[in-house]
Amino acid sequence: MNWSNIFEATLSAFFGVNAMYYAIAAIGLNVQFGYTGLLNFGQAGFMACGAYGLGMTAHYFQISFWWGIAIGIGYAVVLGLIMGVPTLRLRADYLAIVTIAVAEVIRLIVRSVRFKVYVGGSDGINEFSASYRRLSPYVESGRYPLSPFKAEGAVPYVMLAAMLAIGLVLGAATWNKLGKRFPSVPQRAGVGLTGVVWMLVLIAASLRVEYTGYSLWTVTVGWTLVAIFSVFVWLLMRSPWGRVLKAIREDEDAVRSLGKNVYSYKMQALILGGVIATFAGMMFSVERGSVQPDNYSRDLTFYVLTALVLGGAAKISGSIVGPMLFWGILAFADVFLNELVKSNGGSVEVFGIQLIGNISQVGQIQLMLVGLLLILLMVFRPQGLFGNRKEMALDGR
Amino acid sequence: MTLRTRHVVAAVLLFCALAGSLWSPARAADTTIKIQVKDQVQVDGKSKKIPVAGVSVSVVDASGAEMGAGVTDDKGIFVVALPGPGDYTITLDESTLPTGTALTAQTPAVRQVKADDFITANLTINYFTGEANRTTKSFIDKLAQRTTDGARLGLIIAMCSVGLSLIFGTTGLTNFAHGEMVTFGGLVAFLFNVSWGVPLWIAAPVVIVLGGLFGLVLDAGIFGPLRRRGIGLVSQLVVSVGLSILLKNFFLYRFGGRVRPLKDYSLQTSWKIGPVDITPRDFTTAVLSLVVLVAVALAIQRSRLGKATRAVSDNPDLASSTGIDSQQIIRIVWFIGGALAALGGIFRGLDEGVGPDMGADLLFLMFAGITLGGLGSAFGALIGGFIVGLFVEVCTLFGVPTELKKVPALVVLVLVLLVRPQGILGRRERVG
Amino acid sequence: MADDLTPAAAAAKAALADVTPEPGSKKLDPILIANGVRRTFGGITAVDVDHTEVQRGSITALIGPNGAGKTTFFNLLTGFDKPDAGTWSFEGRSMEGLAAHKAARLGMIRTFQLTKSLTKMSVIENMKLGATGQVGEQWWKGLFPFMWKQQEAEIEQRADELLARFKLDHMRDEYAGTLSGGQRKLLEMSRALMARPKMVMLDEPMAGVNPALKQSLNQHIKGLRDEGMTVLFVEHDMDMVHDISDWVVVMAEGCIIAEGTPDQISNNPAVIDAYLGSHQGKSLLEDL
Repeated sequence: MNWSNIFEATLSAFFGVNAMYYAIAAIGLNVQFGYTGLLNFGQAGFMACGAYGLGMTAHYFQISFWWGIAIGIGYAVVLGLIMGVPTLRLRADYLAIVTIAVAEVIRLIVRSVRFKVYVGGSDGINEFSASYRRLSPYVESGRYPLSPFKAEGAVPYVMLAAMLAIGLVLGAATWNKLGKRFPSVPQRAGVGLTGVVWMLVLIAASLRVEYTGYSLWTVTVGWTLVAIFSVFVWLLMRSPWGRVLKAIREDEDAVRSLGKNVYSYKMQALILGGVIATFAGMMFSVERGSVQPDNYSRDLTFYVLTALVLGGAAKISGSIVGPMLFWGILAFADVFLNELVKSNGGSVEVFGIQLIGNISQVGQIQLMLVGLLLILLMVFRPQGLFGNRKEMALDGR
Repeated sequence: MTLRTRHVVAAVLLFCALAGSLWSPARAADTTIKIQVKDQVQVDGKSKKIPVAGVSVSVVDASGAEMGAGVTDDKGIFVVALPGPGDYTITLDESTLPTGTALTAQTPAVRQVKADDFITANLTINYFTGEANRTTKSFIDKLAQRTTDGARLGLIIAMCSVGLSLIFGTTGLTNFAHGEMVTFGGLVAFLFNVSWGVPLWIAAPVVIVLGGLFGLVLDAGIFGPLRRRGIGLVSQLVVSVGLSILLKNFFLYRFGGRVRPLKDYSLQTSWKIGPVDITPRDFTTAVLSLVVLVAVALAIQRSRLGKATRAVSDNPDLASSTGIDSQQIIRIVWFIGGALAALGGIFRGLDEGVGPDMGADLLFLMFAGITLGGLGSAFGALIGGFIVGLFVEVCTLFGVPTELKKVPALVVLVLVLLVRPQGILGRRERVG
Repeated sequence: MADDLTPAAAAAKAALADVTPEPGSKKLDPILIANGVRRTFGGITAVDVDHTEVQRGSITALIGPNGAGKTTFFNLLTGFDKPDAGTWSFEGRSMEGLAAHKAARLGMIRTFQLTKSLTKMSVIENMKLGATGQVGEQWWKGLFPFMWKQQEAEIEQRADELLARFKLDHMRDEYAGTLSGGQRKLLEMSRALMARPKMVMLDEPMAGVNPALKQSLNQHIKGLRDEGMTVLFVEHDMDMVHDISDWVVVMAEGCIIAEGTPDQISNNPAVIDAYLGSHQGKSLLEDL
């Protein structure tokens, strides 16, 4: 068993492309589910909006790539209205039912033969990321180590600063928990200290991770988007607007009795979260240069939901760290089980019972773990790893 | 034992029980027959071949046992895995070809292959269609056929949704794992019927009871403890999503991703009743479904238990104060819901084959059905489910492609919520 | 007693002095007029009010046995429920079919029988939520703190003043969930005042409040009248009804069966009949 392989895969999954676009989708879902209590089970549909927005500009409209972003946002707004208008006046689970149905219908439509001329049927749309790739400052086939000590010029300092910044964000989140145990340590010192520890962990983690120029470009753009959206949502949630959302999550009628148009706020939250998720779809498709309808199944929504709950809903840090951990755990399980199968000669048996007969079962075991994780989190730790149990109020109604 | 440990233990036990019951070693399928259906059309004087999706095909071996059946995908392909080269008969159901097309004379609907034909492990059988020159069925005939198919689908959806709606009515839980309860029925039936060779008419009652027990275990192991701990409905809903992921992938892990038919009643010649073609099997399942559903409706209307269930749905506190043991009622509802879902799974499996997604694919139609009928009302689920099934099938006659036949169900769902969110039989107070 | 009356109380008393004590009687200056409001639940008529008016600047009590339809009537008036038939107007403006938040924006703010303090938000956040016309409640403006910071400071100052008046200032930064039942009632009432209402609708303000707090709650409600607000409240506590209300409306089985000053009501045979039908009859007779 090759443990260094396992750890390397886990660590690179932390900052990988998957964690990145899940984080964007989770930030969006957090606005809807975490802060407002809206059960949006159609996040995959919003992501498909972005992916097909980009794809269709190239494939069908044949206009500039940049229009794709606007078209994707436009799709997301329309989708939000379709989901929200019939349901947002009703009890929470109607939204869940309609969103899951709408997202599924979108997938059926885009993969249908009938609409193939517009959206490419089940093959999807391919090779449309040329403009995006041209923007990359990196050499596409080059190798870029993540470690700050292997880079040249000003880059190491920028990277160290970035790691410190991420470390401090993580530090603030951890100190929220730890701080209560050490009341004598001042808040700032505690955050600073844990932040530095996190930075060291990040540096250690980065030592052996290496990206190709192409994925580094995606990772750069993607995590920049994560940062932008995090600040965006953070600003919103400390504004009076955010206060109304949190109040709606807890008790709609109370908010209504104070003269706020609850329906309109819910709609705004649904659409804003959906537009953010649209960017997740864009990043996902542009990175592959293709959009495939079956990537946007309802499972995707559920995995994003699990990732968010893992990190802690109604927390900015939760929506970023959650997806990182989610993909870290998945990558760990994947490589670990694969190594296990390899070192056992193709199948794994426990007490004479065949656990893994062929390698494709590894993926299914992985996803069973996801389901189990979601159940256990909701039951034993609904606030996630970083959430505050007192404030966590999933049970608006 | 504390509540928490009991809960975990119950979940683990459930898992082991499932693991044990579905233990069939997945075997690698090397030999396959690939069936391709293509439409020949003339475009600018050149002949082009366009794949035809949604055509029913099946493969049987020399003894008449069905090896695989299904519909072609949007590449016009359906692949059947086989134990090895041998003599097989491939049949294409011509009634499922798109309107106005027919098979060319060179490629008849029924084809024989011999072991020698397998030069490699993978054999491709081509069907070509062209413009039909034979008379097509009249619209009324097609309507009759579609209505019959729709009624059968509607009965299955109605049967599966009763539990979903009753569970919602009595506990408030919108159970997103209900589709997996249907799949459970289908897969356990497969285990009995195909893996162990038990005749289906003997196995079915056992499967139904197991389905009921499965529902009971889900309640006792997961949702009951959550209710007692006062965990909110939204959290419970998310737990049911997790359960759905877990179960679906477990089924995938044990069963593999392919859709496989049950062994019994698979090869039947259709009866012709007026304009309608229906196999004796489909006819029987439809009649049985109808009988079961009428029985359920009567039981809810007439029996003490049914009245108590409605009382708990209407007002749990009031029901408790009149001496009804609402926890007991909820357990019974889970049992009945699970049993009906399992039966729905068997019938659906006979119809379309069993696979790990069979229930989840129906879930959306079930939701549409119970919303139309009125969330929480068992009658509503019966009526709404039936209408939705009928509607999606009949819609295909009016220009909705078969691959998009779920879309009208969504339209129904959205319209109901806009116009009358309480559904046909629900009450206004429930929805807001 | 008469000497203690504040000008507002005296005015309300004077305005209602000559009103005929009968159901649906005309008031001198009604702020709220309801006509033929009816609501049925599956065949049972919960509310069927022919006509009623509420005098501006008065404290009006709505009483009646359990199940008389008081809270349902409240819900209908404030837009939280839709009637099967009927019209009503507030300050001359028709309220028919108006959504709850729009009714609130017109200045008709209600509280709830089971308090709806947002338990997972702090007391001061609860208060700030109550303020209307906040610039930062539009998301695109919420993004830029400089657009709403100043207004927020003003709102916070007003919230602090109200908290001090309702003696909740020591709980300012606690979660509202840590408050006692009575404190939650106070919080809900003061949060309603943040919206600067013209009319305050209190649904059982005394339910679950300990006796020590009841007296100060009484004073607060009288204070609302002194500030020019109209108060309509549902209550079971007959001491309180008698103590603070200028006018009493009695409902039974969905209909209004009597109206009058507290003294007139306590001698009204129809009221005693209605109450004798229920177990509360005895206590009402003792109370009045």
